[in-house]
Amino acid sequence: MSSTAPILEARGLHKSYVSGERRLQVLRGVDLAVEVGESVSIRGESGSGKSTLLNLLSGLDATDAGELRWEGETTLSATRRGRLIGLVFQSFYLVPELDALDNVLLAARLLGPVGASERARAADLLWRVGLAERATHIPAKLSGGERQRVAIARALMNRPQLILADEPTGNLDEGSGEAVINLLLALCAESGCALVLVTHNAAHADRCGRRLFLREGGFHSV
Amino acid sequence: MPWPLYLALKQLFPSGRRFPFFTCISILGVALGVALLIVSISVMGGFGREIRNMIVNTQGEVQVRASGLMDDPRAVMAAIEKVPGVVATTPFAEGVVMLQYQNKPAFPAIQGVDANRVDRVIPLRKFVVAGDYDSLDDDRVILSAQLAMTIGARLGSKVSVYSPLLLEKLKADEILIPRELEVCGIFEIGHQQLDSSVVIVTLRTMQELYGIGRSVHGINVKLADGFDADRAAAAINHALPVDGVAKSWMDANQEFLFVLQLEKNMIFFLLLFIIVVAAFSVASSLLIAVVRKTREIGLLGALGASPGQVAACFCYQGVIIGLAGTVSGLALGFAVVHFRNDLVAGFTRLTGSQAALERFYQFSQLPAYLSGTDLALIITSALLVSTLAGLLPAWRAAKLKPVEALRSE
Repeated sequence: MSSTAPILEARGLHKSYVSGERRLQVLRGVDLAVEVGESVSIRGESGSGKSTLLNLLSGLDATDAGELRWEGETTLSATRRGRLIGLVFQSFYLVPELDALDNVLLAARLLGPVGASERARAADLLWRVGLAERATHIPAKLSGGERQRVAIARALMNRPQLILADEPTGNLDEGSGEAVINLLLALCAESGCALVLVTHNAAHADRCGRRLFLREGGFHSV
Repeated sequence: MPWPLYLALKQLFPSGRRFPFFTCISILGVALGVALLIVSISVMGGFGREIRNMIVNTQGEVQVRASGLMDDPRAVMAAIEKVPGVVATTPFAEGVVMLQYQNKPAFPAIQGVDANRVDRVIPLRKFVVAGDYDSLDDDRVILSAQLAMTIGARLGSKVSVYSPLLLEKLKADEILIPRELEVCGIFEIGHQQLDSSVVIVTLRTMQELYGIGRSVHGINVKLADGFDADRAAAAINHALPVDGVAKSWMDANQEFLFVLQLEKNMIFFLLLFIIVVAAFSVASSLLIAVVRKTREIGLLGALGASPGQVAACFCYQGVIIGLAGTVSGLALGFAVVHFRNDLVAGFTRLTGSQAALERFYQFSQLPAYLSGTDLALIITSALLVSTLAGLLPAWRAAKLKPVEALRSE
């Protein structure tokens, strides 16, 4: 791995889906490089392929063609993804049986044994997102904004180099959405990790260092 | 703690919920199956042990019978006592007599025992509930409890005994004089059939009643503790100086014991289906959970979990339900076994069926015995079936691709 290599580098990504007898070409040669500490927003109309692109960037889905490199390497195992990338989803995806602290700790548990230092970090992250008092609450007892804040804390738990956030404010009201974006940008800046933010919200997108617009399978600068 | 186990525990016992419905019902299903198996197999085992004790306590562990009469029992006993494992021997003569007391007749089996030796092989003394075993002599008799009650005889009563030999005399137009015997004891073994129709006299009295001189019908043999009765019987057969056959108590009651074992196996097999049905319910609930938690499963994959770890999470749920159900079932089962006689007494009081129960099952108390092997078999079966119940949901969960699972509605 080169010290100057981007955290994430995508070249000529193609992706299509088969729908009935038709093949839908969603991405047509997308190129993207995300540097350390950079924030990039991706906007686009519904169905333009934003979430598909994010799935490719996170290694959850395979490309039809093109090349992806994470810290210079072309392979990304599940464990390495857990360490390198933090994921934030529109629907939060918290485990309903776990309280807020355990949901944050889950990201660390999946990668190895959890000790006092991990617990302390999870508690610290909850404090940073303003939920120290709600650590023992299960997701059902939290508001939408609070759930997304727990999800952000979970994404940061393993000190990732990159956060991929897919419409993190999509299920929130304006006030909560604003608070979540503020928090996400602040925490990423503070921890020095890069952020790729997929959003419909132009105001939120404008707050990122680089803004991209996805249309007809490719990027167009805003 | 590995995270699949941790998450399995959390999914079964979520934070902030005291009685998770699915978990409780699943555990209860397995627990009821295990408890029923424990109770049924214990009672069947108890009956088996009672029967074994009854046989050994009335016949010894090995019984040697001549094809006709054994004319020189002392020589036979001396030969048998040289066989390794043999602790003591006692001769017996047996038959059927007519017994009469105050015009009330009965036709019990009669057993003639050597009062000086019998105690070393058969613990008759401990079954005597009234009177004195030591006072048994050639003019006295010990009656079984229900027989005494049926004919109204008590301690000190004089009963008349008519043997088949008297019938021979009757044919020869001789005067029929029955043998008068005084009741010196009453015994109760706890087995309805034996308690209702057996009388015990001295060997000499029996020999006189049947006119067989000094001959006997057989010899009961007591073995050292833990000595294999079948092996001892084979060794005795090898050493027997006369025409006779030694049979272990198992061999002599082979068909009866086979039926008993068959019943026990059938009960085990049938009741195991309760656990199997409970396991199906667990599997079905876990499969629903896999569908319901599809996006959570996708999340685990996205956060770094391998398919094997996701599968283990659901496997553990089956194992945990099996473990908790088995432990609860054992506790419930052993509690029922402990209070079985109180429960049966309560039930028979309600239904007025105490007498019928004793008559039908031939035991006054419900026996219970669970061998280590049976206990291990029940525990292993319950855990195995419950674990298998978690495999199908685990396989389904492991097959889910994170990206598709996260996209699912």
